[in-house]
Amino acid sequence: MMWSWIPSNWSEIWELTKQTAFLGIISPLIGLVISVPLGVVAARWRWINPPTLVVVNVVYAIPSLALFIALIPTFGLTDTTVVIGLTVYSLCVILPNVVGGLRGVPAPVKQAATAMGYGPLRRLITVELPLATPVILAGLRVGVVSSVSLASVGQIIGVSSLGYLFVDGEQRDFPTEIYVGLFLIIILAVACDLILVGVRRALTPWASGRDRAPGIRRRVVPGTPVTPVPALWR
Amino acid sequence: MTGFRNRVVTQTGTVNPDYTPATRLVLGDAFAGGAEGRWLITFEGVTKRYPDGTVAVDDLDLEVPDGKTMVLVGPSGCGKTTTLRMINRLVEASEGRILLNGDDIRAQNPAKLRRGIGYVIQQTGLFPHRTIEDNIATVPVLNGWRRAKARARARELLTTVGLDPALAKRYPHQLSGGQQQRVGVARALAADPPVLLMDEPFSAVDPVVRGQLQEQLIALQTELRKTIVLVTHDIEEAIKVGDLVALYHPHGTLAQLATPERLLAAPADDYVAGFVGFDRGIRRLSFFRTDGLSLSAGPVLPETATVAAAVKTGEPWILVVASESDPTPSGWLPSDRLAGLDGAALLKDVAADPFGHTFTVGDDSLRAALDAAVLSPAGLAIGVDADGRVAGLATFDQLRSAVQAAQAAQDALDAQENQDALAAQPGSGPGAAP
Repeated sequence: MMWSWIPSNWSEIWELTKQTAFLGIISPLIGLVISVPLGVVAARWRWINPPTLVVVNVVYAIPSLALFIALIPTFGLTDTTVVIGLTVYSLCVILPNVVGGLRGVPAPVKQAATAMGYGPLRRLITVELPLATPVILAGLRVGVVSSVSLASVGQIIGVSSLGYLFVDGEQRDFPTEIYVGLFLIIILAVACDLILVGVRRALTPWASGRDRAPGIRRRVVPGTPVTPVPALWR
Repeated sequence: MTGFRNRVVTQTGTVNPDYTPATRLVLGDAFAGGAEGRWLITFEGVTKRYPDGTVAVDDLDLEVPDGKTMVLVGPSGCGKTTTLRMINRLVEASEGRILLNGDDIRAQNPAKLRRGIGYVIQQTGLFPHRTIEDNIATVPVLNGWRRAKARARARELLTTVGLDPALAKRYPHQLSGGQQQRVGVARALAADPPVLLMDEPFSAVDPVVRGQLQEQLIALQTELRKTIVLVTHDIEEAIKVGDLVALYHPHGTLAQLATPERLLAAPADDYVAGFVGFDRGIRRLSFFRTDGLSLSAGPVLPETATVAAAVKTGEPWILVVASESDPTPSGWLPSDRLAGLDGAALLKDVAADPFGHTFTVGDDSLRAALDAAVLSPAGLAIGVDADGRVAGLATFDQLRSAVQAAQAAQDALDAQENQDALAAQPGSGPGAAP
């Protein structure tokens, strides 16, 4: 470990960290925005769900490098390629949670809402989505952590991130650089995760003091990867 | 004539006197065809058939009088809940019409219709993500009230249903089951709807809490006079809270529609008798008050009386009371315990047996009086006034006479009403729409 390397290269390290954070956060957010309407549809029409799950699981099984390379002909060696790739992975973990979260809203609550005089859209927005929020945010957390990790793979196709420190450190046989990259990615992932925990607490004050809302189960859809192990390299 | 009476006639094979006479007896003048002759909810030949062919409700004619509690009771799958849910269109009728205040409910926007109908369910269906006050404020807010005004209304309702307004900022999961159920009732009442639908509202709580909630509902109803349709599988609950009870056959038809008293007195058939259950004769006595019961002054002596005075009565049991001026009971004294005692001794120095429970003359029912007699070591029911002072004692003979008199009066009234009802047919009986 060569500690003096860190301060002398700090500005570059900081730039790479910001870039990684950008790639790792923007992608799951886009994934969330896409997942919610898709999840609403899949939760409403049950037959859509099994094929969706198959597609999601197959896509999730594609190695990230292969996915990036597949996107290069269309989007080139740009941030867009990496963001699209990471968005797809995020979608794969967030979508099942949107479906599960919506399905987990207790039937009597939905029935009561209808009987109080809520229209379908109003019920969805003011009752069902708020109640599904803890489960959806659990999916978002996994999406963010895995995206922060996977962003470094983009380095291989030339999109800069903390992955640069791995590639460069390996080529120069300079372990300090690799350790710093690894450490910063983990710190970044944990920091994002903690922020999302804070967001969940702020958005769902009603769920505090207990693990989850009554009747809301995290795993509602069988076979859904709700908390897959975040893969650093796949 | 669109009333249910035709149907009840065909079902039982006799002109069923249950509806008008008995209801009028219990409900008084207000029931002369509903308050101002109105029926708030009317089912006309309503059938619910599901796509798989199951018939949940079969050609139902039913009228729910304005301001009364109608209880739908029957075994699981009898169609009582389906009947309820058709009123706010959670379930759409396959055939027939349902009128609310004379208007076909299908002509109305479902969401708007529902905002005018309170709805309470067994699992409460409270919104877990909203505070108690916001749960209660749901319908007023949907109706466009400002949140502050709706919350003020919510806190007011917490008191109405017997909850501490301090609970307003809590979340539903922080309340007990009974409290949650009260919040459910408050939420249903928030927009002051004329109609309240209650689907097994008290089935999920323990018997003690259930009793409290039933009492609360009766008290609320006395004050608010909503038109309530309540579904239950518990015949005791139906008899306790209902002004009218509609008892279902297992497959979506009515077996009997009657006041609770009539249901106990004259079940339409063996099915109803079986459903109503054992000792209905005794249970019916709940509906007869004790004001007609004759009482004897009986062997009652104050604690300051002497043993000699007690022996002199020649009675096997003497009721000892606190004093002449304050005759609250203190115990039963068997005469054989007095044998060999000093005649000058005072009764308060002789150990007496507990007097068990008393009944309040006028307020309590003949059932309570009979129970008091059965549990009394002397076989005498102690009647007390509102202040707990002994008004007199009732023997089994006196109770029997009172029961017979009450039943005879009831039957005479029923016969008279039945005659009136027959005279009114066919035509605009109470069952006809206004």
